[in-house]
Amino acid sequence: LDKRQSFNFYIVILLSVLCLGVSSQPITDSQYLFSIAVSRVQNLHLLAQRLFSNFESTLQTDDQHQLNKIFLQDFCNSDYIISPIDKHETQRSSVLKLLSISYRLVESWEFSSRSLTGGSALRNQISPRLSELKTGIQMLITANQDGAEMFPDSTALQLAPYGNFYQSLGDDELLRRNYELLACFKKDMHKVETYLTVAKCRFSPEMNCTL
Amino acid sequence: MKEVMEEAVLLFLLLVIYTPDAQGTRYSPPGKPELTRCRSPEKETFTCWWKPGSDGGLPTTHALYYRKENSDTIYECSDYHTAGENSCFFNKNDTSIWVNYNITVVASNALGSTFSDPVDIDVVYIVKPNPPEKVTVTVMELKEWPFLRVSWEPPHKADTRSGWITLIYELRVKLEGDDEWEMHLAGQQKLFNIFSLRSGGTYHVQVRCKPDHGFWSEWSSTSHIEIPDYLHREKSMWILIAVFSAFIFLILTWSLHMSSHSLKHCILPPVPGPKIKGFDKQLLKNGKSEDLLRVLVVSDFPPTTPSNYEDMLVEYLEVYVPQEQEVLLEESKDLHDSCLKFEGSTSDNDSGRVSCDSHTLLMDKCGEAKEEGRQTDQEDSTTEAEAQGQQKDWDQDTLMYANGDILSPEKSSGRVKTWPSVFSPLPQYTLSLPDQTSSLEMAKQHCYSDSLFCPGSTSSYLTHLGNNDNETLGPGSWEICLSNRQPYSHIPQMQTCQQVRSHSDVNISTIARKQEPAGLPLPFFRPTAYVEVQRFDEEDMVVLQSIVSDHGFHEGFPQMLQQEDYSKVKGVDSNNMLLLQTEAMKEDGDGCRCQDQVTNGVTESSCTLSISTTPHKPTAHIHTVVSTQDEMAQPASGYVDTATIFTLPTY
Repeated sequence: LDKRQSFNFYIVILLSVLCLGVSSQPITDSQYLFSIAVSRVQNLHLLAQRLFSNFESTLQTDDQHQLNKIFLQDFCNSDYIISPIDKHETQRSSVLKLLSISYRLVESWEFSSRSLTGGSALRNQISPRLSELKTGIQMLITANQDGAEMFPDSTALQLAPYGNFYQSLGDDELLRRNYELLACFKKDMHKVETYLTVAKCRFSPEMNCTL
Repeated sequence: MKEVMEEAVLLFLLLVIYTPDAQGTRYSPPGKPELTRCRSPEKETFTCWWKPGSDGGLPTTHALYYRKENSDTIYECSDYHTAGENSCFFNKNDTSIWVNYNITVVASNALGSTFSDPVDIDVVYIVKPNPPEKVTVTVMELKEWPFLRVSWEPPHKADTRSGWITLIYELRVKLEGDDEWEMHLAGQQKLFNIFSLRSGGTYHVQVRCKPDHGFWSEWSSTSHIEIPDYLHREKSMWILIAVFSAFIFLILTWSLHMSSHSLKHCILPPVPGPKIKGFDKQLLKNGKSEDLLRVLVVSDFPPTTPSNYEDMLVEYLEVYVPQEQEVLLEESKDLHDSCLKFEGSTSDNDSGRVSCDSHTLLMDKCGEAKEEGRQTDQEDSTTEAEAQGQQKDWDQDTLMYANGDILSPEKSSGRVKTWPSVFSPLPQYTLSLPDQTSSLEMAKQHCYSDSLFCPGSTSSYLTHLGNNDNETLGPGSWEICLSNRQPYSHIPQMQTCQQVRSHSDVNISTIARKQEPAGLPLPFFRPTAYVEVQRFDEEDMVVLQSIVSDHGFHEGFPQMLQQEDYSKVKGVDSNNMLLLQTEAMKEDGDGCRCQDQVTNGVTESSCTLSISTTPHKPTAHIHTVVSTQDEMAQPASGYVDTATIFTLPTY
């Protein structure tokens, strides 16, 4: 009987260890996914910055000032997505909320990014990367769902085309639109980067994220 | 009326007075201020600074108004003092990220106000953090190679822990007197090691940081560090190494000196001196050529006088010898030392070296077996010498046999075949007439020592006569033992030998080689030389040729070599057996007598060896040779005197 008891004991220990190991698996997977998502969105933000600066360098200084003014008056396409705009709000949001907002932001640019002006080499990279990022965020959302509700607006919302997107525009309008597109894209990418970084750090506080 | 006039004048005067004052002070509305920069240290607050224009001589005030995007509400800066003069500080409540701010500064004085140009900013892109804090530099010891470890903290305001802001760091190092800094990018880590330091120097270290999208911070305050002087430790190590290597060098030198001799031998091997037997170097040194030549002559060199000719003949006829019997092989005295060196000693292209394919086999047993049947190409064969030569003990039974093909008579090089004295398995002895036309069939003797088995009937016992040039065979006696087919038939052979001996009272002279042979029976020879027997195919004649003989085998007739031979024809018995006998036959060792073969043409006595056809004939007579090679029966173990036998070119 002693032998059997010890044997059972060992079996139980082994199983529990295995269970722990298995259960800890999704956490490490999420951490890994977070790291990947953050690095990808950082890359996208750099691309957007490069596009924008390239475009700005081609403009005249007068146009730059003008465009700045105009830009203030216009909207970004993704303004309807309500997102935290300061640190306090961001840190108050849950990880899931941040993830969903990021998801929506990325999704809104998935197809619009094709119309961005700039080097075709750069432009062609953006859309597939956005798709991949979207997929990664989706995976993170499902991993962290835990039964919580998704953001209510996410499912119902459809991406409205950008203003008079399909209108044929004059040169000035075209210039303005390109400028706006690039600026908005850059801003949104930075938003997603920040949200994801904060979410990652919140998700695994033991990691000394961003050191 | 006058009073109104006075007031008007007073007013006019006042105006005149004041207007010059206004024009003299030049009061004007303020100049246009300018927003110089806006910065946010942690992406949570920001500050804007402006530069005021001219104040217009009047106290001017500045005000900053801003407007957020998508909103027309104009706000005024609420904090003008925190950030210093001409600044506006936006606290956390007023700061929004990813929102465009339109900021304008207004300068106003008593005369007016002036608006600056508006500036649009997004807080995210104006981040410039504070320099890193708590920069510490320490010297770490690493096995006498120290290095610097620099560590720091992010600015306390930057919230890197929550991930709100991500900073990367950079540091720079320089020696105290240098002008240029050495930059190192540290990434996101807060620790950095610097190696390759100069001992005893003082280093300056500075660190700065930058957010992922923003501006570099200012350099931190310089940290000074002094590297301890570790060179002396290096020196001691070098000293130790130098001493050790010197010690090793001394040891090497000493060992080289001690073994210089052997080393010299190794590197510069001594030139081998001449190795000539009996050669004395001293003679050479002395310079006496006569002595030298004499020595040389005495040595293995070709003889200068014919008197020594016989002595130098090395031919020996290998004859089958029973075990007890010693091979009556003569050797030249110079050869008795040598082994069966068929390829060996006397070097001649046509020498009588035994061409023996199985020489390797035989060479092994060379030590004991004396080589006799060497055929030299010396002109004179000294059968006599051979006869008197030493008889070697052939117990060893190293049979050296040239197992070449059937030789053509034209071949001059005789083969020396040596048979071991104890030649048990004698194959059928084949004697054939040397005949040019006829195919000479030299039965090859492939018999080896008695330890070996002769191959069946194919092998035959051959006595080959070394063929030389026209030299007559010496008086050496050869002995041929003709054995029957059966191996190990020692006894009958013995008997035959003896019987031969007993009949060896016939003087047979050597037969000149070139003379036409008659149907001479083969003589018995003593085994002092090699007799080359070829089978007869025509006239039933056995022709034996001594190897010493220089007679070439020209014709298919047996030739007898003329020498001072002693071979005698003992007689012809009733069985048509010619008994040969050497004149000076020696009966030591074996009992067989050699009898020289006599050719017809030679007047001298010749020994002929006749071989009877009947096998098992115990007589030592030499009977007429049967043509068939296979049926060659040895009537007796006759020893054929090679002197009288012309040698057949076996090869």
